[in-house]
Amino acid sequence: MTDKKIGSFLQKLKEKASQQEHYGGEAETTAAGMSARSCPQCGAGRAQHDGLTRCSYCGFEFIETTLTDGLYIKKEDNSQ
Amino acid sequence: MFGLFNNKKEEPASPGLTTLLQETQERWFTFLGKLETRMEELGTAALPELREALAADTDPYKRTFLKMQSGVNGQFENIRQKAYDTYDQQVNGLYDQLSNEIPVLHPAHNQLMDFRNSCSDRYHQQFDSKYHYWRDQIQATSRRDLETEYRQILDEFEQVKNQFTCSQCGAPIAIQKIFFISTYLPCPSCQTQNSFEPGSQARQLQFIARDLAEQRTAHLHTAYEKENALEREYYHEAHTLKLSTIHEHDKKILAQKEAEMAAIEARRQESIRRTPELYRQYLRAMYDELNLILPDLKDHHEKMYQNQMNGQ
Repeated sequence: MTDKKIGSFLQKLKEKASQQEHYGGEAETTAAGMSARSCPQCGAGRAQHDGLTRCSYCGFEFIETTLTDGLYIKKEDNSQ
Repeated sequence: MFGLFNNKKEEPASPGLTTLLQETQERWFTFLGKLETRMEELGTAALPELREALAADTDPYKRTFLKMQSGVNGQFENIRQKAYDTYDQQVNGLYDQLSNEIPVLHPAHNQLMDFRNSCSDRYHQQFDSKYHYWRDQIQATSRRDLETEYRQILDEFEQVKNQFTCSQCGAPIAIQKIFFISTYLPCPSCQTQNSFEPGSQARQLQFIARDLAEQRTAHLHTAYEKENALEREYYHEAHTLKLSTIHEHDKKILAQKEAEMAAIEARRQESIRRTPELYRQYLRAMYDELNLILPDLKDHHEKMYQNQMNGQ
């Protein structure tokens, strides 16, 4: 393979690689954000000491499963 | 063929056989030389292009660069496959054909073995080592600058940590540490659980952590690998010495060689003792770095460290 052939091969490879769509689509870049979920039934806010799984005012179930110890969430975060 | 079975007396190999073997060997060497030149040209041209492609790739997973790297690797694989196929057909083919015709005890068989050994050495030692060298170089272009990426994550954190407020009451919520997964943060004023979602860059932290820690402690890993390889080197040194004593009758020289072998054996035992220590040193340093980068996962890291230590 001469230098010219290698050069043109690499050029074509570069073009093809940049034009091809990524399998799985483009990666989304998102910025950090903060949001809070209030109860859809009664509009109450969700406080940590009341537990994360049920609304402390009307009993609406935010999270169906029983929480177990994770990195930041602990068993104590289950609503009583 | 070659009239080898015609005479009862042993005769040296016919010139026809010698010429055939020599020509085939020369053609094979020339062919390998051409393939090696092609690998070198391709590798030299491709390496800077690949580095450029990695730097210019905006995808967080560097998929455009990886596609290009695969293309180049494919070309090298084609070259390797060509060498393999030609060796199989031309060299092994000829050897198989001739070894059916030349009996093992015939002097021409030595020539045949020499032909096969030199072709094999040229291929499996020289060509293969060059092939692996270029493949390693191509692989090395995918090495990401993890320190820069880590610095970018830290800088982004410094910028955003005081920007957020509670959605219920509007009080500011300071982010205390770098979260790499979505987390509940209680508002200090109204206790409402706010969901904090880190940006996609911060989420990468858990994926670059291990490689970054290994990069930072690479020098310790190299020291361990060097010590590990020394044991085999000492063994072969002692073994060569031992072989040289087989026909030795001079008592003085024998005693000298025995002393040398004892000294090498002592060094070998020392190497065997040091190798696991160096590995433990490397592991501890690597996990300490990992704990610095991801302090939240310290328990998990310690468990991994204990498992690796127990598995030793």
